[in-house]
Amino acid sequence: MSSSTVVRITDVTRVYFMGKVEVQALRGINIDVFKGEFLSIMGPSGCGKSTLMHIVGCLDRPTSGHVHLDEVDVDELDDNSLAEIRNKKVGFVFQTFNLLPKLNAIENVELPLIYAGIGFDQRREKAAELLGVVGLKDRMYHKPSELSGGQSQRVAIARALANDPSIILADEPTGNLDSKSGDEIIRLFQELNQRGITLIIVTHDQEIANHSKRIVRLKDGLVVSDLPAGRQAIS
Amino acid sequence: MINLVEPLKIAFTSLLSNRLRSLLTTLGVIIGVAAVITLVSMGEGAKSYILTQIGSWGLGSNSITVQPGVEEASMPEMTMTLEDAIALRQKVHNLQYLMPEFVGRGRLVYGKTSYIPTYSLGASSDYPYAYKQKAVEGSFFSAAEEAGRKRVVVIGRTIARKLFGEFSPVGEKIKMNGIGYTVIGVLEEKGSLMGMDMDDIALIPSTLSELTLGVTKIWEMFITVNDESQVPQAVADAKKVLIARHHKEDFHIHTQQGLIDIISNILNAMTGIVSAIAAISLLVGGIGIMNIMLVSVTERTREIGIRKAIGAKSRDIFVQFVFESVLITMSGAVIGILVGTLAAWAIMSFLKLEAVIAWGAAYSACLVAFLVGTFFGVYPAMRASRLDPVEALRYEV
Repeated sequence: MSSSTVVRITDVTRVYFMGKVEVQALRGINIDVFKGEFLSIMGPSGCGKSTLMHIVGCLDRPTSGHVHLDEVDVDELDDNSLAEIRNKKVGFVFQTFNLLPKLNAIENVELPLIYAGIGFDQRREKAAELLGVVGLKDRMYHKPSELSGGQSQRVAIARALANDPSIILADEPTGNLDSKSGDEIIRLFQELNQRGITLIIVTHDQEIANHSKRIVRLKDGLVVSDLPAGRQAIS
Repeated sequence: MINLVEPLKIAFTSLLSNRLRSLLTTLGVIIGVAAVITLVSMGEGAKSYILTQIGSWGLGSNSITVQPGVEEASMPEMTMTLEDAIALRQKVHNLQYLMPEFVGRGRLVYGKTSYIPTYSLGASSDYPYAYKQKAVEGSFFSAAEEAGRKRVVVIGRTIARKLFGEFSPVGEKIKMNGIGYTVIGVLEEKGSLMGMDMDDIALIPSTLSELTLGVTKIWEMFITVNDESQVPQAVADAKKVLIARHHKEDFHIHTQQGLIDIISNILNAMTGIVSAIAAISLLVGGIGIMNIMLVSVTERTREIGIRKAIGAKSRDIFVQFVFESVLITMSGAVIGILVGTLAAWAIMSFLKLEAVIAWGAAYSACLVAFLVGTFFGVYPAMRASRLDPVEALRYEV
């Protein structure tokens, strides 16, 4: 394994049951993600994108196969260690933002730092700095209900960055935004990527995928294409 | 290492954001704790009032009371005599004071005024010490005057006012049941005890009881010893002497400690009943808290999912929810203690008595609230901590 591999997905399958029906969400996925990459995962609904995202983010475990994150084989870890990996190595950005409504922006950004055991002064400083990075210095004490969708998503991105993770996983990050806010979020992702942050975005929007550097297409739980973004038009 | 300050803050914030629900949830605990604190404070207040009253009448823990008859008889046959009292005075070890009461009815006549006091007693010269009521004018009769059958009488303030008005009665001659006496002293005022005027009293030497009051038998005998620890010995001595003289046990002996024990037992039984009711209230309150916590876990499934996604361990979620439950019950206990103490204070001031702050009950209320909060919080917290993060994130409110 190359030292610059952040995520290595080897023969990953995931089977779950909807009632009594067996659903094969992933049928054997192999993807390597390198440091500094900006990867889009595309595909129609039900192709397994979200499931793959959850497995990469250590929220879920594969039925078979292996996931290495920063060269650690995560299927050997117990639940507590997985929580620690989610906390320190992974930053999630969701379609519905998933901020805690009763906490203000800076408190939401601080949450991962609390679970990392970082003291108040230090985490407040870090959270304020990150809100600066996402351009919300003047909205630090606003509750999510007082923020627009685009602003909420930026808070969520700041939260994802809190513990300097190895990778940011964004699941349809612009799905709930108007196109202008969506563009801003994508531009922010590009900026972060230029700073060296590794990103994986799940999307079904070709426009957005075109802003990334590499596009992986899934269909029925399998990878159907894995090409640099510039060469997508052919398929 | 588990940091407990952060989950405590998280739990506190979450409770504050749901103030009304938190308050309603803990109402059962508040009512239970307030009820116990009120009744225990009042009970303690009543106890200290009763003990003070007993103490003010001279009855201390170093005293015993000998009464005629076996304990249960309501109208006992009186058998104790002046000779019995003299024998006890000689034979009870460490005896300090002995005060036999020969209770009779004495008509007092001074000039043209005639009056029958509530109490006319044949007494011993120990009376002022045993019952802590000194003569404030003149003096009480001495042991020599008692033994010498001197016709002297000591009266209470009520009689002094009735017969002599504002003049000092000391040295005046009066008649009791037709027999001439000299007033040699007036007792200090005692006020009333349980509605009876303790100053409406005339005391003559015990040796003259038969002659003046026609009484030969002792109503009851009050004995003190030098020290509390000598009470059991004194009880044994008194029993031995009286049984030897009467050839049977036709009397019974109360110790002051016994009386205090009886009062304490009654109050403790009361406290016990109240505590049982409170325990039920806390149990019901606890079940209510568990119910609300389960609802809260369901409502906050998504929050739990988010927290887990950003790195909360199951343990962190568990601790957060247990803390919420414990915080609810503990704040209920604190509010209950405040409300209960205030209520007790209000009721007792209305009754013109003093409430005692029930510290012991307050501590146990806090402890019990802590245990109830923990016990009924564990199951909902376990449910919360075991939620699958992917499922939880998908949950729609």
